[in-house]
Amino acid sequence: MQNGKNDISRRRLLRDGLWGACLVGTAGAGSFVAGRGKKDNTVWQIDPETCVACGNCATYCVLEESAVKCVHAYEVCGYCEICFGYFGPEPVNINEGAENQVCPTGAIKRTFVEEPYYEYTVDESLCNGCGKCVKGCNAFGNGSLHLQVRHDRCLNCNECSIAAACPSGAYKRVPADKPYLLKRAGHA
Amino acid sequence: MNRQLATTNTKVIVGLVIAVAIIVGIFAVVRLDVTGKTGSGLGSEFVYDIEGVGQIDPNLILYEQALLPIETGFSNAYAVAVDSEGSIYVAGDSSIRVFTENGDSFGEIELAGTPRCLALAADGSIYVGMRSRVEHYNAQSERLASWPDLGGKAVLASIAVSKKGEVFVADAGNRIVLRYDTEGRLLGAIGAKDTDRNIPGFVIPSPYFDLAMAEDGLLRVVNPGMHRIEAYTPNGDLEFSWGRFGMAVDGFCGCCNPVNFAILEDGSFVTCEKGLKRVKIYDPEGSFVGVVAGPEQLGHTGPLKICMLPTDCQAGGFDVAVDPSGRILVLDTVRNVVRVFTRIKKEL
Repeated sequence: MQNGKNDISRRRLLRDGLWGACLVGTAGAGSFVAGRGKKDNTVWQIDPETCVACGNCATYCVLEESAVKCVHAYEVCGYCEICFGYFGPEPVNINEGAENQVCPTGAIKRTFVEEPYYEYTVDESLCNGCGKCVKGCNAFGNGSLHLQVRHDRCLNCNECSIAAACPSGAYKRVPADKPYLLKRAGHA
Repeated sequence: MNRQLATTNTKVIVGLVIAVAIIVGIFAVVRLDVTGKTGSGLGSEFVYDIEGVGQIDPNLILYEQALLPIETGFSNAYAVAVDSEGSIYVAGDSSIRVFTENGDSFGEIELAGTPRCLALAADGSIYVGMRSRVEHYNAQSERLASWPDLGGKAVLASIAVSKKGEVFVADAGNRIVLRYDTEGRLLGAIGAKDTDRNIPGFVIPSPYFDLAMAEDGLLRVVNPGMHRIEAYTPNGDLEFSWGRFGMAVDGFCGCCNPVNFAILEDGSFVTCEKGLKRVKIYDPEGSFVGVVAGPEQLGHTGPLKICMLPTDCQAGGFDVAVDPSGRILVLDTVRNVVRVFTRIKKEL
């Protein structure tokens, strides 16, 4: 009988289980409400300082054409004649020929400014957010090309599939009134 | 009996569930792809591949690492210089640390700010370039002077001292070289674009702009955006230049290289490139001689990759110095160590 007092009776198990379920339910409901409130005030964005330009943004977005695009921080750009965000690692010639370009979709345009400076602009309608140009610009240049979520396209999913696939934790929620994390000039 | 059995079964089931949860958790953590190496599912045309150009033919390597890298202890090291005794000076964070030729630390000079570059004069005095001003210390590490600030646009990237005692300061922000006397009086400027004097001007996309005084009395200045080293008289006349763009080992890669250089006793040049990290030797006329170290010797392990995070990429402009015995010292600004290389082959 003494042992029987310490055993879990069915009634006690049911009562405790119900109590636990209520607690979990209350916590879940609270989190849901808090999450809804948070979602209303925040949006997804990529932190360019931790982004490794892995290419997942191009393939994991639920949209057929990713909401992530390459953007250009002009104040960081060196306007290089030989830009490795534009040219591939082994360009045949230094000109605008398609075979010399790093972008597989031809989304970056090169425009002569004055000797020896060139301006590079991104045609977002052609960019798929693969980040190949970002890798080249980061490695050889100033890193002025970087990826950002475009909020005119992003559905702001609660469970963003790119965020789940992001290997470096660069995908994060930011205040909706400051929806971009653009690079700024920090020369030297 | 049945109740005891049921209790035991419950414990076993709970234990099993916990064990499975732990195993799943460990598996998930181990499988976590923190570098993106598992791939995005994109085709090969979307992969940035420098494997082909990053490999260095071992037959081209003339040097080997002599001793274990010297730990500077800095979070951010910027510049290295060697005095006539072989002592190694490294500037970083907010001080200059001094090491023996074997890498033992034996002194430190505290600074009021972050040093970007330094030069050692024949009399033992030290010129330190802060972001926008030069500070002058004597051999006893006492500050002698702080020269006038050059303004918010200035980014001092390199200093050199001639045998006459003139000090040349490379200002990357204003794309110009300033010439001073030892008291900090401005004597002139070198390298401003001037078509009448056939001076093209410096193209400096990033804050790397090195210079050094050669034995022939001409100042050598890197023009990184033009992928060449230019020779100027102290009065600012452009005499000649050498160097060209090329991803192959004999050229300067990327948008803007070399980032830093030093001059060997025989007048040859040691150059450092960023992006594709390479340290190479060119003869006094600028012909490629051989390689000191390629990406593999400069710390890469496993498959050759370019840098991952932007901060690593932007810190990849290694500095270089030559000591009196001909050893080449490379300051690895990513790992904040000094790598010492000695020559193992006279020629290829």
